[in-house]
Amino acid sequence: MTGLLEFREKIKQLYIKTEFLLVPFLKFLLALVALITLNGQLGYMTKLDNIAIVLIVALMCSFLPNGFIILFAALFSLLHIYALSMEAAAVSLCMYLVMFLLFFRFSPKDSLVVVLTPLLCVMKIPFVIPLAVGLLCGPASIVSIGCGVFVYYLLDTVISSAPTINAMGEDETTAKLRLVIDGILGNKAMLVMIAAFAITVLVVYLIRRMSIDHSWTIAMVAGVMTNIVILLIGDLLYDTNMSVVSVLLGSVLALAAGKLIEFFRFCVDYSRTEKVQFEDDEYYYYVKAVPKMTVSMATKTVKKINSQTRMSQQTRNPSGRSVVTEHTGRRPSGSSRVQGNRGNYRGGRSVTINGQDAGDMQDLDSEDFEELF
Amino acid sequence: MLNEERIILMTQLAAYEVNEGKRNVKIGNYFRSDYIAIQVLKSIVSASIAFAIVFALYVLYDFENFMQDLYKIDLIAFARDVLIRYGISVVAYGVITYIICTYRYSRVRRSLKRYYHNLKKLSSMYRE
Repeated sequence: MTGLLEFREKIKQLYIKTEFLLVPFLKFLLALVALITLNGQLGYMTKLDNIAIVLIVALMCSFLPNGFIILFAALFSLLHIYALSMEAAAVSLCMYLVMFLLFFRFSPKDSLVVVLTPLLCVMKIPFVIPLAVGLLCGPASIVSIGCGVFVYYLLDTVISSAPTINAMGEDETTAKLRLVIDGILGNKAMLVMIAAFAITVLVVYLIRRMSIDHSWTIAMVAGVMTNIVILLIGDLLYDTNMSVVSVLLGSVLALAAGKLIEFFRFCVDYSRTEKVQFEDDEYYYYVKAVPKMTVSMATKTVKKINSQTRMSQQTRNPSGRSVVTEHTGRRPSGSSRVQGNRGNYRGGRSVTINGQDAGDMQDLDSEDFEELF
Repeated sequence: MLNEERIILMTQLAAYEVNEGKRNVKIGNYFRSDYIAIQVLKSIVSASIAFAIVFALYVLYDFENFMQDLYKIDLIAFARDVLIRYGISVVAYGVITYIICTYRYSRVRRSLKRYYHNLKKLSSMYRE
């Protein structure tokens, strides 16, 4: 466990150090994957299916706010659908506008959820999303998940209707509209999925906020179970053709992802829980304090003592001497303590001494250096 | 001499100002009633546009039959029906907006109260 905690600290430090590069890179990567997936799934407009255009747009997304990823993805999908059929594009545009006007204005911060949900649906691992959102966000994010699922099924309907739309004549405008609208509104699988995800987010959110031991783990398991049960009931009621094996596998994957999130966000040691009780003039307080599992990073002290390359000294001490002292201080997880925001990381110290007479330095031991610096 | 407590407080305040504080200060500048009224008005406009889009789709969905029946149906009753549906949609959306904005405003005020309290604390530290 200590090794894992050290690894977590290293990742955290790496993130802090490279945040200014890492965040734009991750945004670029997300936009790139989203646009490539759109091109791969729809791909009706061959001009857009060009890696140069995709790269340029993804690069733009890397330094623009997150909402622009949604904007460009919506634009790409609309252009592709327009190349297939103007009527389908009009219906899609209307749906996007309704979503934007009614739902998305209440949770504009969750733009990543709206992009990730359809993306993970395409990758056949959508069950990670409600679990992650329940653990990291609030119930308001249900709206974003619902929008994401809706977008996935909208595009899925267009893809599945494409052969029929292509077979229709130019003058069958109303029939094309009807085909797309019926395909979306009559999609029971979509409604079941939205209901399952919404209830799962609520269950996970409510349980993980409870003052019980292992609340996050219980929340995850309860969330996954709820999700499976609702999906199976939906399958029985509406015959949504849900594959039980894929649901179970996806749920196991979601649990694994949930444990990973828990490790980074809520790693606590329940064995050292403290329950205290005190009072003031107005209240009695029953406080439960659960210490976070932390570990100090290995502290390295490197001392290099190089002799000056002067000829006279080289004669006295021809080879430059280098002393490297390294010691690691590690606090085991059992001795961790409750911390505030300050953390207890003590970075390694590197000391290089140049221009000193090596002969003089020989008498000094490492204790003296600690005092000096 | 560096005052560690002051630096921590300043860092927390600066982090708040950069992140959620920016939006919260904007909301906190309004009176409660003004903020909620503006948001509800925005919602009415949004709901009206959304209703118009959905109605347009409804008409287009069965456009040929709609045009054929246009002269047969009671237009006033049809218009009344549409207006009632519009009213219900807008009122329902307005009520939801009102509830969300009331909750959001009270949360923001609490958050800003903490922020201003910390600012006062910082100011008093400088006077010590």
